[in-house]
Amino acid sequence: MSQTQVLTPEGIDELVAALARATPRTRLLAGGTDLVRELRRPGDEPDVLVDLTGLTELAAVRRDGATLRVGALATFTQLQWDPLVREHALCLSLAAAQLGSAQIRNAGTIGGNIANASACADGATALTALGADVVTLDGAGETRTRPIGEVLLGAGRTSLRHDEAIIEYAFPALGSEHRSAFAKIGSRTAVSVARLSAALVVRFDAVAGVLAEVRVALGAVGESAFLVPELERALEGRAADDESARLFAEGCVAAVQASIPGRYSLPYKEQAAVGLAYDAWNMLALSAPSEPAWA
Amino acid sequence: MQLVLTVNGMTYEVEARPTARLLDVLRDQFGLTGTKEGCAEGECGACTVIVDGKAVNSCVMLAVQARGKEILTVEGLAQEGELDVLQQKFVEYGAVQCGYCTPGMLMSAKALLMGNPVPSEQDIRIALAGNLCRCTGYTTIVAAVKAASGQVATPLMELPAAPEELAAEVVTDPATLAAACEIVEAETGAPVGVPCLPGDDADADPFGGPGPGSSGSRVTPEGGE
Amino acid sequence: MTEDLQYVGGSYPVHDVAQKVTGELIYGSDFSVPGMLHAKLILSPIPHGIVRRIDASRAEALPGVVKVLSHENAPMDGFSRARIHPGQDMSFYDETLFSDHVRFVGDRVAAVVATSRATAVAAAALVDIEYEELPSMLTVDSALAPGAPAIHEGGNLLFEHEIEKGARPDLDGAVIVSTTASTPRIHHAALEPHVCIAQGHSTGGMTVWTTSQGVYAARTVIAELLGLEYHRVRVIKVPMGGSFGGKTEYIIEPVCAFLAHATRRPVKLLLDREECMIATMVRPATRTAIRTACTPDGELLDFEAASTLDSGGFAASTPDYSIHMCKKVTKVYRVPHYQHAGRAVYTNTPVGGAARGWGAPEMFAATEVHMDRVAAALRLDPVEFRLKNMVEPHETDLVTDLPLGDARVRECLERGAVAFDWAARRARPAGRGRIRRGVGVAAGAHKNGMYGAFPEASRMGLKMNEDGTFELNASLHEVGCGIVTTMRIIAAEVLGVHPDLIAAGEADTATTPFDYGTYGSRVTYVVGACARAVADKVKDRLLTAAADLLQEPVESLYVVDGAVRVRNDGERAIAYRDIARLSEMRHVPSIAASTTYYAVSNPASYSVQFAEVEVDCATGLVAVTDFLAVADVGRAINRGMVEAQYQGAVQMGIGYALYEHLDVDERGRAGIDGFKNYHIVNAPDMPDVQVLLVEHEGDDGPFGAKSVGEIATVPTAPAVVNAVNNALGTELADLPLTPERVIAALHGEEAAPCSSC
Repeated sequence: MSQTQVLTPEGIDELVAALARATPRTRLLAGGTDLVRELRRPGDEPDVLVDLTGLTELAAVRRDGATLRVGALATFTQLQWDPLVREHALCLSLAAAQLGSAQIRNAGTIGGNIANASACADGATALTALGADVVTLDGAGETRTRPIGEVLLGAGRTSLRHDEAIIEYAFPALGSEHRSAFAKIGSRTAVSVARLSAALVVRFDAVAGVLAEVRVALGAVGESAFLVPELERALEGRAADDESARLFAEGCVAAVQASIPGRYSLPYKEQAAVGLAYDAWNMLALSAPSEPAWA
Repeated sequence: MQLVLTVNGMTYEVEARPTARLLDVLRDQFGLTGTKEGCAEGECGACTVIVDGKAVNSCVMLAVQARGKEILTVEGLAQEGELDVLQQKFVEYGAVQCGYCTPGMLMSAKALLMGNPVPSEQDIRIALAGNLCRCTGYTTIVAAVKAASGQVATPLMELPAAPEELAAEVVTDPATLAAACEIVEAETGAPVGVPCLPGDDADADPFGGPGPGSSGSRVTPEGGE
Repeated sequence: MTEDLQYVGGSYPVHDVAQKVTGELIYGSDFSVPGMLHAKLILSPIPHGIVRRIDASRAEALPGVVKVLSHENAPMDGFSRARIHPGQDMSFYDETLFSDHVRFVGDRVAAVVATSRATAVAAAALVDIEYEELPSMLTVDSALAPGAPAIHEGGNLLFEHEIEKGARPDLDGAVIVSTTASTPRIHHAALEPHVCIAQGHSTGGMTVWTTSQGVYAARTVIAELLGLEYHRVRVIKVPMGGSFGGKTEYIIEPVCAFLAHATRRPVKLLLDREECMIATMVRPATRTAIRTACTPDGELLDFEAASTLDSGGFAASTPDYSIHMCKKVTKVYRVPHYQHAGRAVYTNTPVGGAARGWGAPEMFAATEVHMDRVAAALRLDPVEFRLKNMVEPHETDLVTDLPLGDARVRECLERGAVAFDWAARRARPAGRGRIRRGVGVAAGAHKNGMYGAFPEASRMGLKMNEDGTFELNASLHEVGCGIVTTMRIIAAEVLGVHPDLIAAGEADTATTPFDYGTYGSRVTYVVGACARAVADKVKDRLLTAAADLLQEPVESLYVVDGAVRVRNDGERAIAYRDIARLSEMRHVPSIAASTTYYAVSNPASYSVQFAEVEVDCATGLVAVTDFLAVADVGRAINRGMVEAQYQGAVQMGIGYALYEHLDVDERGRAGIDGFKNYHIVNAPDMPDVQVLLVEHEGDDGPFGAKSVGEIATVPTAPAVVNAVNNALGTELADLPLTPERVIAALHGEEAAPCSSC
């Protein structure tokens, strides 16, 4: 029978105290949409569940100068509709909107999404393209900030210590010169784990008419979401035209091929990546929608 | 662990296992079996309830997470015996077949209308994307939700007839009834004494003798009122 | 429409709708009795092996665990989960309560009975079981390979049969076309998981509450296994959340009853979704090869088929299923010569068995995809080609030799083509862009009961209460499609009262007369006809009694609105309640009757369905953007429900065509995680389905009605597949059309074969 204890800290101090007592078998409960499912499987039960539901201060989204800070307990529904997210991190809003069902979005959190570290996590793709830092709090009351790429180590693996909780994400707020997009390909239109996802953040220099900064993140085609720096460099300085769209698509395909060579799903994903790339590119709306020739 | 939960406007104190899901407490401890378990994974939506105005899957939420929040289940939709407009429309639009997905559908739809009173068809389908149905193909359900939001849709079903309407039916005319009673008395050689039934004169003595102002269907040995 | 009917043809909600929308209805999974224990099954994690050792000591030491049962302490008599009658032909007694020779991942090895579900689950993880693994055969081909180890005595070719009817004409100059098509293993995906509750009594008897589709047959299996006489075993049908054939066979009733018997306590066995997917039954995977010959003008000369069906670890009903696959094509098409070789094969995979349509969706998936290829080879439009070969009303089925009855498939196709604007849509170019559009059509047929293959009858009683209401006493098995309501409507029409004045319950072997149950598309046609017959008898009694009381000849009387009236004398009428009360005092038979109705025919029901799709050539995702189902229903008893059933049936068929497949990996495990990656169509992906009813009332069903529930899903998948092939210019024939398969076909490549067959 389950021996798991549940702690319900109210306030940061109680959270720190709970984290201080954490063991490697302690788990942090945010929305529950991943963790409560797993609790059903026998074996490996947590000694303690720290229920974060009461820490409402960790759900806030706020602008901190040039930085946008998104609380770890913000739900996907919140992120989908929050005006700050829509204005300064649109790709995150789009990713949230396409994740799961309404019920999952209402409960699932952006903190849980990263901590769970599914290879297909849509939040991870968007945050990676946004260049997000992960801010954590530990049992000694210390906060640490590190890039998301240093937190996500692989499918189901993070560098988080057992006494460490994600409390927020911080990234440069996108401004009026920025455009961002998120696209995903699932097994169906809605309520599907991503088979492929892409997030694209660009700063467009309207005076020069070129893509001044580009960040491209791909998800669900590797252990975790990753940036594609060679593709970013290839696009920076280019006009936002059909040729750039084509390069972008080619670059995505190449990145997919490099990431999952020999995998059973590669023949499909390298074709589907073309569609994914054009979907993301056209969402930027920097030019008339681009269309390649299809088979 | 001791939990205080507010469900359908009532506050309950309950002793629950720490890792009990909200679904388990609702069904097994509060006897509210309207919320169903279809998959235990947050995929089918049969367990949908509303927590602080938002639809959630109660199978992937621990009961402890719902502390201090307003929980609404399907049992809480009807008020004082009056069906919620959504429930009414589900009946009128034939949106119920086996009915197992129905509570979850109702709760997702209720949450939708609470936040978006006049949803488009696409809004409805997206709100119900996490509620699976294997019987209906969703068309009647979507129509019912649309109708509940006041948007025009053509009802499919004839409503179940109200019991009062059915009961207020045929009454045998007194002359015919009297003649029939005589026939029976002649046949059996015994007086016909018929006990009171609902609709008959409530003041009459049920064990014999005419009562004042007896109704047409009350038969007496004298054969009429 | 011939008669002017008052109730038949209206639209009524299901009889228990009020309880369903309030959450009040107690389904099997909600049901409990005092003192009830909970059971958890322990299933084999390997696809093939021998159970060498079971150590339940750690489990039994857990507080709250009552007992652990397995082959070591359970009767090991073989039984058939599909048997309807004792002594029935083609019953394979190859299954036992628990297996000591496990034959698929999901095979029952043991069960824990405990005081709570959580305890039972925890204890199940503590039972140590040692297996000796045997080589496993996960495909039909590997199971039939020479030297393959036998899964059951007698080898892995479970069953084979061949039929040949008619004479092959001269095929000189004929156009020959061949197709091989495959359909996957499917999960029925009823929203309510499988559940059973059983209670043993000190009298030596047993009560079983179940969501089975046939309580009487379940009783025979349970009684025999436990050595009880039938009158001691009471099996009661409780409300269920859908079945689609997945609860026809007695999968968990025997083991649940045994657990109750062994512990002398009430026991509830409720499966979780994963167990439902792998440890109950699946729609069997099939592979069918078809070869036809046609004249150059498109007249069918010859139809040859060979189908293989994956039976999984037990026989269940697959031999019968395989035979039924042979009886489909000639219900729709006229052909001088039909030959069909069928076989069912054991493999180490989940057990295949009864599923909605019983071989028709499988066979028509192959046939209708093939027919489009033939049409293409002949340069004929698919509708035109089919019209050249479709049966007319009252022809005889070449294979079964039974009259097809008022077969309106041709009319369905013609009217559907007009309503769907087929010609214009077909003429529209698919396009070469990313999104390509196409349309497809498919026809299908199904039966109406088991007459001609099996003794087919139903029995019912009907009585009038003292206040003029009625009670129908019948072994109804409501699966969610409105069966109880249908019977009430039929009786109401005969008796001249509103259906709400007629009560009808569900099956209980102790109190309701024998009926097989809900399957074989027998309910409207045979059970409904019985309802009509028994209502007619009661009406006779009513009229006879009224004739005495009104002193009028019976011929001058008629029933309407709860009273008996005299023709041409509007004044004189006697209400039912008065007839009831007065009749009770007389020495006359009561206003009640029972009857046995013997089926006299087994016509075909038909549907022709049209799909429009948009295919995304980048992602391979297919959207069904429009859908029309034309239904030859004879007469709709409950019009709204017929339409609603068709809409749901199309959801199942679209899933069959595009999304659903329960495959196993190289370790025999289903690589799916419940509904997370077993996708049934959800609301955003479901089109609005238009339903067009064709009603000619030409057969022996009540008021001319024919079956609806199964035929509705028969042609859906091939209509969608044909539409996709039209959009892309491909020849896809292996279901489902996953995005991988679509993309591969677009690029002229082979996608990975379906691992089901």
